[in-house]
Amino acid sequence: MTEASVSLAAAAAPARRRGAIGTIVAAFNANKTAWLGLAVFLAIALAAALAPWLAPFDPIEQHIADAMTSPNATYWLGTDTFGRDLLSRILWGARISIVIGVASMAAGVIVGSALGLMAGYWGGRIEQLIMRSMDVLLSFPTLIMGLLVVAMLGPSMVNLIVAMALTMVPKFARVARAPTIAIKERDYIEACRALGYSDLRIMFVHILPNVIGDILVLASLWTATAIRIEASLSFIGLGVKPPTATWGGIIREGFDNIMDAPWISLYAGLAVLLTVFALNLLGDGLRDAVDPRLRGE
Amino acid sequence: MVAFIAKRLLSAIPTLLAVLTVLFVIIRIVPGDPAIAILGDNATAEAVAALRERLGLDHPLYAQYRDFLLMIAQGDLGSSMATGQPVWDEVRSTLPYTLELTIASILIGIAFGLPIGALAATNRNTIIDYAARIGSLLGLSFPAFYTAILLILAFSIELGWFPVISQGVPLTDVGNRLYNLALPAISQGLIMVGYVARASRSSILEVLGEDYVRTARAKGLDPRVIILRHVMRNALIPIVTVVGLYLGLLIGNSVLTEIVFNRPGIGKLIVEALSQRDYTLLQGLMIVFAFFIVLVNMLTDIAYGLIDPRVRRQ
Amino acid sequence: MPEPLLKVRDLTTLFKTSTGWFPAIRDVSFDVWPNETLCLVGESGCGKSITALSIMGLLPGKKMRRTEGEVVLDGQPLLELPDKAMRAVRGAKMSMIFQEPMTSLNPVLPVGLQVAEPLIAHGGLGRAAAEAEALRLLDLVRIPDASQRMAQYPHQLSGGMRQRVMIAMALACRPKILFADEPTTALDVTIQAQVLSLLNDLRADTGMSLVLITHDLGVVASMADRVAVMYAGEVVETASVEALFARPTHPYTEMLLGSIPRADRDVDTLVAIGGQVPAIDAMPAGCRFAPRCFLAEPGCRAAAPALTALRSDERHQIRCRVRIAQAAPEAMRAGAIR
Repeated sequence: MTEASVSLAAAAAPARRRGAIGTIVAAFNANKTAWLGLAVFLAIALAAALAPWLAPFDPIEQHIADAMTSPNATYWLGTDTFGRDLLSRILWGARISIVIGVASMAAGVIVGSALGLMAGYWGGRIEQLIMRSMDVLLSFPTLIMGLLVVAMLGPSMVNLIVAMALTMVPKFARVARAPTIAIKERDYIEACRALGYSDLRIMFVHILPNVIGDILVLASLWTATAIRIEASLSFIGLGVKPPTATWGGIIREGFDNIMDAPWISLYAGLAVLLTVFALNLLGDGLRDAVDPRLRGE
Repeated sequence: MVAFIAKRLLSAIPTLLAVLTVLFVIIRIVPGDPAIAILGDNATAEAVAALRERLGLDHPLYAQYRDFLLMIAQGDLGSSMATGQPVWDEVRSTLPYTLELTIASILIGIAFGLPIGALAATNRNTIIDYAARIGSLLGLSFPAFYTAILLILAFSIELGWFPVISQGVPLTDVGNRLYNLALPAISQGLIMVGYVARASRSSILEVLGEDYVRTARAKGLDPRVIILRHVMRNALIPIVTVVGLYLGLLIGNSVLTEIVFNRPGIGKLIVEALSQRDYTLLQGLMIVFAFFIVLVNMLTDIAYGLIDPRVRRQ
Repeated sequence: MPEPLLKVRDLTTLFKTSTGWFPAIRDVSFDVWPNETLCLVGESGCGKSITALSIMGLLPGKKMRRTEGEVVLDGQPLLELPDKAMRAVRGAKMSMIFQEPMTSLNPVLPVGLQVAEPLIAHGGLGRAAAEAEALRLLDLVRIPDASQRMAQYPHQLSGGMRQRVMIAMALACRPKILFADEPTTALDVTIQAQVLSLLNDLRADTGMSLVLITHDLGVVASMADRVAVMYAGEVVETASVEALFARPTHPYTEMLLGSIPRADRDVDTLVAIGGQVPAIDAMPAGCRFAPRCFLAEPGCRAAAPALTALRSDERHQIRCRVRIAQAAPEAMRAGAIR
């Protein structure tokens, strides 16, 4: 940009000072789609949390007489091959998906960011070691990694979370490392060192806040991916075992009966789509809020 | 240029080694005994011991690692435990299907994603832009198997245009192959369209703001010339990155697509191996997979070199 | 009486900000005569670049920007021209080179092609003929081994050579006027002199006019025939280079010249100009320089002065109530340029 336009942009911005977090929040406020995404996701999460009270039926309870009925007044979304209420199963399935999605994201964020901060701050051999390992982990697509781990260790919620966290760790490590390298040379970090602050304190109290924006963006986007992968794994049959309701599992059952009861796959799939889309909207909105270039224009 | 490609080829080898090692680690060093995992908890001690010996699990770990690498170097991927057939044979008969699905999905992704992204970038902040952005976000939010199911519902069941179950068709019957490829490719392509459209939009927007585009305008060039000659080549660089990045995703998704459409393919093989606990088949397939990943990364690097002369001098 | 090559009258460019439309440059007026070098001088952010970009029609986005006033090049009004017609003018009759040669050249295209492009676009030449001419141009701008350089990429050239390539590109269609936006600021001092002397020679050889934008008064002294000093988006003084340095009349110019260290004079104190250029949306009413001006009177804040010619010299104009009043209290003429 020419000098003229830079000073123009600077002059046009409000003179009030805001912290890094404040600016992000403000820009996010302005982005309506981001709010929509957040709202929808929270609504779904809330519905999942309240499933025991919201679900009209027990998700495992079979009503054989009413099996394979399309949506009607009693069973709002219809029933499956065993006569189980689809709506209840979807609500309970949400719990699995969201817990796995959020937990694996959280594990990925915590471990990955820590590794990235350490690699960026300490540099040298440590950085090489960490980043090479990350590169290797990065080669594995999430689904394949999930397949492998679950195949070896057996399907359970914990294993699923571990599998997906493993693919997320390198991504967060990368995102945390780059700004750390840039920031660690700055004057105020020098000042911290001069004051005798421990490395860990510098990393987590002083550098981390600058990195948080990018991490948040990735976190929402990867939660979306985690939920989608969990559904995929359940679809293949590698998710949490039946009769527990999982979105992927429901879709699979629905697929086996696609001709006779299309609503099963349709609505369960819609649930996945909606959740993933909402999280992607959120992540996208956050990205626009965090990226100064996109904001200025 | 040749030197550049050669260098890339060479550097792929250590990466391949690393990936194979990780594979080895994951498959071998797991809690519990793989033999028991395969045979089940009720297996007799002799059966377990016999299987262990057969799989070479009774040798020390470094020996296993050495044999593992030796095996691969000789092009031997082991034999399937279920069928006794060499893994390589199974792979050879199904790989073409997975490859054509992956390539078709990429082509669809680029053919539709690039123009959509370009449209959005050149009509910034208009309805076209918003529609394109929301649309692509929606597109990549679809789980691949859901798209597949929806497509089947719409086109196979309701309209009857396409077969519900695809078949393996001889290589030479191109028309039939394309016919069977159509729906699966579209269902996977949709996700690619989403990613490519977004990457195209942001990368073209960024290039449009560059100084050399201003210079091109200062020369009084036709806007179409500016877009095609000045903008696109520079914008392609991040787009190639995205395609390379999501290629892994595509392969993972091909597993799902192949299941839904009952297409032969590597993905389907993997799942069968898993459910039948065909340990050696699984290992062999994963090795093929590792090669594929490293190959893709290398090709992406080479593509950069083709597009961007600054990369070549490295 | 001969007409100036470029006539700029009351050029105003407004940008849309979150708080409304504000002028980045206001009522900018100057003339450029054939075969002369006009320097646009001022601090960073005074609007020199925006002036050139407005005339060239290179500012982005009609939704965020409005340009008003009158710009006439060789008898042709430019501001109302439709896009297609303007494109025919740009690069052909009017060219521009920019400050950063590295980012201003396309990194993935060979240098020869980039120089040949304007010839293909405007001159209707085929690729081969255009590249032959490009080779000649590269020689003209004194690039050694020009035939080898043709196939090279920008990153393979040094900063000085890249700027020469930019010059070759700009001159390809023999424009009547060349805008050079701080062409040497990003270059080494030794290279600066070479590039400037090249510009001078080329101008003399082709009869082209040069509008040189700079913040460096040394460059002004060595290159300019006439000078226009800008402050806060306005032209505050125009004069021949001799008149400007010998008799700087506007207080801002005086302070600018006072703040340069000079080799031929003992200066006890460097006069730093206190204060800052006001923000675009916080411009003072009345004279924009008044807050920092040592001559400021209460009347200066009341009304913005117009660019007025000095009684003693028609072609020396300033935008200052006080100085004009001092020179000819009974004969103050406003709008004397028309």
